[in-house]
Amino acid sequence: MKGLPSLFSPTFPALFLPRALLSHYRRHPLQLLALAAMIVIATMLWTGMNHLTSQARASLDQSERAVAQRQQVVRDDGRALVVEDFVSLRLAGVCVMPWLEVTPETGSRLVGIDPLAAHCFGAGTGASQALDQPLDGKPFVDVHAAASISARDSHLYLLTPETTQTTGLPGGYYLKTFSASPDTGELGDSFVLNLEALGVLVLLITALLLRSVYLLGLAQRRDSFALLHRFGVPPGRVQRWLALEILALSLVSVVPGVWLGRWLAAGLGSGFGEALDGLFDIPLYAGQGQGWITPVLVMLAVVVIACLGDLLLLRFRERFSLPLPARAALAIALLAAGLAMAWLAPSLPWVFIAVALVFAGAGWLTPAAIAHLALWRAGRSKAPLARWRFRELAVLVRRLTLPLVALQFALAMVLAVQALVTTFEDTFDRWLGQRLEAAYYIEVPSRTDGHKAAAWLTGQQASAPGLQWHRVIRGKAQLADAENPGGPQVDVLAVAPVGSLVRAWALLEAAVQPWGALASGEGVMINEQLARRQNLGVGDSVQLTLGAQPRALPVLGVYPDYGRPVGEVLLNAATLPDNFDVRFESLSVTPGELGITQVTSALEQIWGVNELSLRDNGTIRELATGVFDQTFALTRAMTLLTLILAASALLMMGWVFFSARAWYFRLLVVWGMQQREVAGQLLRLALLVTGGIAVLALPLGIWLTWVLVHRINPLAFGWSLPMAVYPVFWLELAVLNLAIGLSIAALMRRQLGRPVVAPVSASALMGGER
Amino acid sequence: MTESLLAVRGLSKHFVSGNETVPVIEKLSFTLGQGQSLALTGRSGSGKSTLLNLLCGLELPDAGTIVLHDRVFEAGGAAARRTVTAWSTLRRQHIGVVFQEANLMPALSLLENVQFRAQLAGRDPANSEDWLTRLGIGELAQRYPDQVSGGQRQRAALAMVFAMEPALILADEPTGSLDRHTSDEVARVLFDLQARHGCSLILGTHDAELAAGCQQRLDLGHLNAV
Repeated sequence: MKGLPSLFSPTFPALFLPRALLSHYRRHPLQLLALAAMIVIATMLWTGMNHLTSQARASLDQSERAVAQRQQVVRDDGRALVVEDFVSLRLAGVCVMPWLEVTPETGSRLVGIDPLAAHCFGAGTGASQALDQPLDGKPFVDVHAAASISARDSHLYLLTPETTQTTGLPGGYYLKTFSASPDTGELGDSFVLNLEALGVLVLLITALLLRSVYLLGLAQRRDSFALLHRFGVPPGRVQRWLALEILALSLVSVVPGVWLGRWLAAGLGSGFGEALDGLFDIPLYAGQGQGWITPVLVMLAVVVIACLGDLLLLRFRERFSLPLPARAALAIALLAAGLAMAWLAPSLPWVFIAVALVFAGAGWLTPAAIAHLALWRAGRSKAPLARWRFRELAVLVRRLTLPLVALQFALAMVLAVQALVTTFEDTFDRWLGQRLEAAYYIEVPSRTDGHKAAAWLTGQQASAPGLQWHRVIRGKAQLADAENPGGPQVDVLAVAPVGSLVRAWALLEAAVQPWGALASGEGVMINEQLARRQNLGVGDSVQLTLGAQPRALPVLGVYPDYGRPVGEVLLNAATLPDNFDVRFESLSVTPGELGITQVTSALEQIWGVNELSLRDNGTIRELATGVFDQTFALTRAMTLLTLILAASALLMMGWVFFSARAWYFRLLVVWGMQQREVAGQLLRLALLVTGGIAVLALPLGIWLTWVLVHRINPLAFGWSLPMAVYPVFWLELAVLNLAIGLSIAALMRRQLGRPVVAPVSASALMGGER
Repeated sequence: MTESLLAVRGLSKHFVSGNETVPVIEKLSFTLGQGQSLALTGRSGSGKSTLLNLLCGLELPDAGTIVLHDRVFEAGGAAARRTVTAWSTLRRQHIGVVFQEANLMPALSLLENVQFRAQLAGRDPANSEDWLTRLGIGELAQRYPDQVSGGQRQRAALAMVFAMEPALILADEPTGSLDRHTSDEVARVLFDLQARHGCSLILGTHDAELAAGCQQRLDLGHLNAV
């Protein structure tokens, strides 16, 4: 040994070890490229998803802060506010801040504000904090910039703090709640929460894919490591260099990945922003997404954990490595615990833990279950070819565990997202249709009489075919019961007459002929939120204090009410007591043959105002449908990208696996099978694997959909979406999986045509494992 | 005079390497009678494996004719597809091939491997266990290839070949990866069974001792200088 130079003696070049390790990639540059590409794409995908989500989240927070104190000054005569109003209010000593909403000819809504006027809301309050930031982009711009834009529509609001009293206003003005557009903040929250949950899943899937590609590379380098070990290099030193190598590769790959992700988010952002803005009233601020550091650090951590987890947990694994039956039992236990926990979870964190447990259990169990099933089938097969095929299937599944689990998760996620998105679309479309059943929505101006307008419309009903209308009164009521006389406040939605505009509402639960009973004043309907919170159902009685008068009213029905945080009671306006505090009043009108101009002229005359606040519900519905489509198309695109990534990884891994195994397929040719027969066997194997994964992804996807709509939403927001499944989409996914299987088989068939070298040993490294 | 099983006439095979055409087998002719054995010798790269591949149709010659089991295979025939199919049928039913390593399907036990091969050849798989016993590894029948030694794997490969009752065995360095003692044992079993069952054997080897066990010898290294 004396004459033999050590690897670390000066006789060897200083960088001998890294050069020896990297020599593998010199011979297999595509492998390095594939690993780097996987890190880049995984980073891009997660960063893009996360960037959009965090941008939406930040925007939601800021938007909420900016309009936290919702009070505005409006004119008595119903006319739109102009700059002169601002001047006269300021001269009268009223602190107001202009809020100019502009819809340009092209592009999304802009809000012009005057930062100097933000002091109205006092230093340190939410609104001023939100507005203290530089106005450097959409949608918040300086009020002058907003005013100078060529717009197809603009509206000036004058916001004032809660402290301003009506008595302090000059004549001709009054105070009103500020609501720039329908408040669906909770709906936005729900959507963002679901996006965040999906972002975590995307991260998990990409981690699995990274790990599978990295482990594949390691397996192919095992001979080199063994050789280095024989040369006297300690394994720890090799491991340290490997850690350094993957860290360096990650750094090089993560940065462009984050850049690409931000680019993707920016590309999708404008459409996404418009969608959120229009749909959920969440203006998207420019540059509000996460910076660079967080995604870079997160992805570095993911790469390190996914690739080097084994090294870090080596001692732990050695100590706690379980035999196969124990692992299977543990996986079943995790699965069962997760399922039970999801069912019984009292709060959101428990649901998320349950989801993690179910995914861990399913991920652990799926490959083992397919392999076990394949071995069982092999044992029962009399035909030797079928027996061989099932045994090969078991090996294939065990060897491709990680990419298969990643594909299963991706499929389940795509399935859940598709179901969620389609359910959102269907439900909200129907819900919006119900809420916007009337063609027009007209605000009853303050200090005017809604009764007179109602009387006029009643008079027109006989002579104007197609005229449908009802009066809407909004206010508050106190909920009480015997144990708790001072219960929570609920919103009151009172309509009269209870006509065809409301009778088409879908009810989650209803008594016999509920609308007739409501019209007769025999009871009330409640929204889902109230039903859940107070544990009320049809036949129960609610104790309501309307005005000063406590009344016990039976529940006639429960209606879905998406996106609203508070409980609500629907009743016949005719049953309201005279002293009921009316907060807001409007008319929903479908003018029929009467025409809207005739209706508005008559109402202006009745109320003595020059201009009415009128909303065309058809346009709103059209806009909402448009932004729904856009938003959901983006969500689908992101999840499909994840699926494509998982499919590509499986394709790559499958190709490598078959390359290692090609000799044994060639052996079938040697034994007299024709190439096309062997190719047929390959095809059956590939389809069995991808088909098996698709079948096992189905229950996981359906379960995930159920968790999203029936557990997460109700726990987070108090309302649930209807659970719907879409078998046509399952078929589409099955076809996609078929395509993945066919691609693998086609690649393998090419391998069969090439000369194959017999493995030098029956080791696992060379594809000879069973 | 034994009946001829195999006749090779003017067989040639070239490989293309870059712009260069490398001849591996050139105008080779020989015959092999039924039940006879022939050793193909020569150094590495002399074309032993290529010739064995040509003799079972895994590769097709550039020129020449092979007559095997009364079937005539001409190089460059128009009906190439039919030729490939005919070779497949011959390999399936009448030609047993043994390589230096990896002759067994790793996911099947030794017994299942033998049964698989016998059934593919259309023979009764019921004798499979017998064959393993005759080769001295009956007690290992349920083991998998990675659970037995290299010599035992080669014995199983021979059991597989004999279970299909071949007319011709092509063995490419069948003992190349074994130690001398095991190699001798495997060779003894191979020659013994081949003689007892009357099948022909062509053995590619660079081992002079092994080659000496065959009745005839063809030195490819002498014929072809690659």
